[in-house]
Amino acid sequence: MSTSPFQPALGLPMVYLVDDEPVVRDALAWLLRSRRLLSEGFAHADAFEAWLATQDLAGGWPQSPACLLLDVRMPGTSGLVLFDRLAERGLTDALPVIFLTGHGDVPTAVSTVKRGAFDFVEKPFSDNTLVDRVEAALAVSSQAILARRHRQALARTLAELTDREREVMDRVVAGLPNKLIADDLDISVRTVEVHRARMFEKMGVRSAVELANLLRDAGHPPPTGAR
Amino acid sequence: MSTPLPDASAPSPAPAPGRAAADWPAAPLPTLGKTGRRAPRTPLWVALLLLLGVAQSLLVVMTLRYEEASAQEHTDEVAAVALGDIRRRTQLVLQGLQGLPLKGWADPAHGLLSSHHELGRIERRDLNGHITEVLDSPFREPLYARWPRDQANLETEVACDAARRVMSPMFARSQYVPQANGTGLEVIDVCVPVQPEGRLIGFTVGSLVLPAMLEAVQVSEVGHSHELSFVEADGTRLARIGSVRGAGVFVANRVVDLPGTTLQVRVDAVQRAPSLIPNLNTALVMGLSLSLFAVVWLLLRDGRRRARAEGLLAEALAFRKAMEDSLLTGLRARDRHGRVVYANPAFCAMVGYTAEEMQQASLPPYWPPEQVEQYQRRQDERLAPGAELASPHTGYETVFMRKNGERFPVMIYEAPLVDGTGKHTGWMSAVLDMSAQRRVEDLSRQQQERLQATARLASVGEMASLLSHELNQPLSAIASYATGSLNLMAEPDADTPDMVRQAMTRIAEQAERAGRVIKSVHDFVRRRNQDHEVIAADLLIESVMPLVRLQARKSGARVDVDVVQPAPRVRVDRTMVEQVLLNLARNGIQAMEPDTPVAQRALLLRVRTVSGANGDWVVLSVIDEGPGIAPEVAAKLFTPFFTTKAEGMGLGLSLCRTVVEQHGGAMECLNRPTRPGAPAGSAGGAEFRFTLPLHRPRAPVAGPRD
Repeated sequence: MSTSPFQPALGLPMVYLVDDEPVVRDALAWLLRSRRLLSEGFAHADAFEAWLATQDLAGGWPQSPACLLLDVRMPGTSGLVLFDRLAERGLTDALPVIFLTGHGDVPTAVSTVKRGAFDFVEKPFSDNTLVDRVEAALAVSSQAILARRHRQALARTLAELTDREREVMDRVVAGLPNKLIADDLDISVRTVEVHRARMFEKMGVRSAVELANLLRDAGHPPPTGAR
Repeated sequence: MSTPLPDASAPSPAPAPGRAAADWPAAPLPTLGKTGRRAPRTPLWVALLLLLGVAQSLLVVMTLRYEEASAQEHTDEVAAVALGDIRRRTQLVLQGLQGLPLKGWADPAHGLLSSHHELGRIERRDLNGHITEVLDSPFREPLYARWPRDQANLETEVACDAARRVMSPMFARSQYVPQANGTGLEVIDVCVPVQPEGRLIGFTVGSLVLPAMLEAVQVSEVGHSHELSFVEADGTRLARIGSVRGAGVFVANRVVDLPGTTLQVRVDAVQRAPSLIPNLNTALVMGLSLSLFAVVWLLLRDGRRRARAEGLLAEALAFRKAMEDSLLTGLRARDRHGRVVYANPAFCAMVGYTAEEMQQASLPPYWPPEQVEQYQRRQDERLAPGAELASPHTGYETVFMRKNGERFPVMIYEAPLVDGTGKHTGWMSAVLDMSAQRRVEDLSRQQQERLQATARLASVGEMASLLSHELNQPLSAIASYATGSLNLMAEPDADTPDMVRQAMTRIAEQAERAGRVIKSVHDFVRRRNQDHEVIAADLLIESVMPLVRLQARKSGARVDVDVVQPAPRVRVDRTMVEQVLLNLARNGIQAMEPDTPVAQRALLLRVRTVSGANGDWVVLSVIDEGPGIAPEVAAKLFTPFFTTKAEGMGLGLSLCRTVVEQHGGAMECLNRPTRPGAPAGSAGGAEFRFTLPLHRPRAPVAGPRD
């Protein structure tokens, strides 16, 4: 049970609880703790948002795997509203949301899943099932974090390319042969080959296919210089 | 569809109500129509009148006949008497004349003349007929004073010749002798031969004056009712007597046979043939007849009147009978001994006995056997002399039994029956079968109860939803702690006992919390079957507060209570009123959930008392800070099955109002004015308030009001 599926490099996972019932928060925190999971509770959506504002969102929060257990019905800002706001800011990939629904709220919960929530759990929940879902969410979160880091590394690499190397890369990805690239850039085929080799080296790939896969996986925008 | 309904196509549509009402009383008439009964009577009456007419005519005719006959008879009698008298006198005169002596006759002759007034003159004649001696009657002038004897001697000589031949007295025919005063007399001479010693020596002639002869007749009637006269055979009247003249109707003729001549005596009654008009008898008969006819006519008219009255009476009776028969109300008449003397069909149908059965029974058969004693006592009290005559407007209710043994409630309105002489003869009762009404009442009550139960169920349903949420929290927590503890104990380390102990403490806390929730519901539900009780208003609010708070906490609302002190008391069905409060509170909280900021969400339960012209009231208000009530919603607010909630049944408010009205109060809702400082356009919330009558304790509570 204690075997952690997370990459140690990502740090300790964190579970955030937003529920108006202190008892529920306390009990859940205790339960998570029994499964070696850290948690932090918030009494209502506004409190969570206030806390979120203090985090370094631009700097890539969350850096460690995280998930949010969110009560659907709460006084003030409801769980649904909070979820929509988080989704708007693109936070729900790294911070998967599991809704806690009361009895009879299943239709609401299903609709939230369709809108992108990770899952919903009906109260009273089968507790270890809940924790299992939390762990699954944390795994998703860590993958999202890793993917993001990957993208960031690629972006840095791309920034190291010279303009000419960049131009050549765009055309390689577009599938042009060296001859055409040379004609296009009005340089010799020999020069193209040099740029290409240096670009492959910097990008850490050995073929054009690898390069294309790398760029596509990182969600890199399609080449701009290509005709 | 072009096929009309059978009713619509019927040729005679139902008459207008007015016409029907006018026609209806006439309906029973044909069965006892006037014409049908009077037709055979008219010929009878005509025959009677005809017979009466014939009988009267016969009577009149017979009366006349009888009168005629008796008049004639009387006349005949008079005639017979007169005739006898005349004969006798004539005979006397004749004997007197024959008895006269030859010598010295003057004195006897004078005596004869004196005793017989009818003898006017006596002569002595010789054989040659020459008058030798004359003696005139002393009572009159000499017969032949004006007229010479020679002029009237012919008939005398004829008679004397005849007398000479037969040697016996002979009468001459009458002759007229004029008199000095211008009148004349009829005279009959009688010639008596004088024949002493058988040898004729001369004649004695006596002159009989006919009028004097008539005068001498001793018959009382002659002179005033009958005319007596001598007539000749040819009817010529010779002499007459009497101051009256005969009418010539009742006439009797008699012949006086005299030697040598005949005289006819005629008696003529003054009386005429009896006429109809001036006749007393006829008048009497006619009068009687007229009276008879008048009586018959009166009888006829009376009969006709009686028939008309009978017809009217029958009509009225039939109308009344039809009325009684068509009544749905049972009618029953009892005599002073309680025996049923009359029962209309409705009553018979009601109890299932015929009127005869009821009349013959000593005890009313519709009394339930188990109640007979009590009813008998009640009846005796009512029928006892001097008992108060109960007002007919205040009926009483009792139980009767149908023939099939079924008991059913009836309402009886009883009034004394008083006959024409003011004597109290019995009781008339109107009996209403209350079983149908009772059924309807029961049904209505059942429906009301069912509605309330439904509402209660709905309320319970909503409560269950609330409870499930409320119980979810502690149960979830308990489950979490338990699972966590198991997790820990699977791989125990040094901290595990502390952690588990902590978990167990929390589990205990949460279990207790769940228990409290359950208890608050239980407290609420437990009193369901209690009746009205007197309770202070703050207690009412207190008992719903746990449930209200549950709801309020869920939506983050604040609940304030403002009860005037000392708390007024009301007499209510506690459960129902608490339901009302709970309903209103829940509505108020739910109204604030969509749009009202959490900080502003507040529910106020307020209790005040007011005094008005119609008494003292406790006003309970439930005030929220929601958006208020839209006008189109307000109009339908209390309509059953109207709701603005997706899951609501729409019974809450309508039932709340029913409950309040059952307690004698009223419920209303209004929007509160916007609070100062609130954003423009925001509403001031809604206030639902209802009144309950203030329950006054024996000693009035002196306390500040409001």
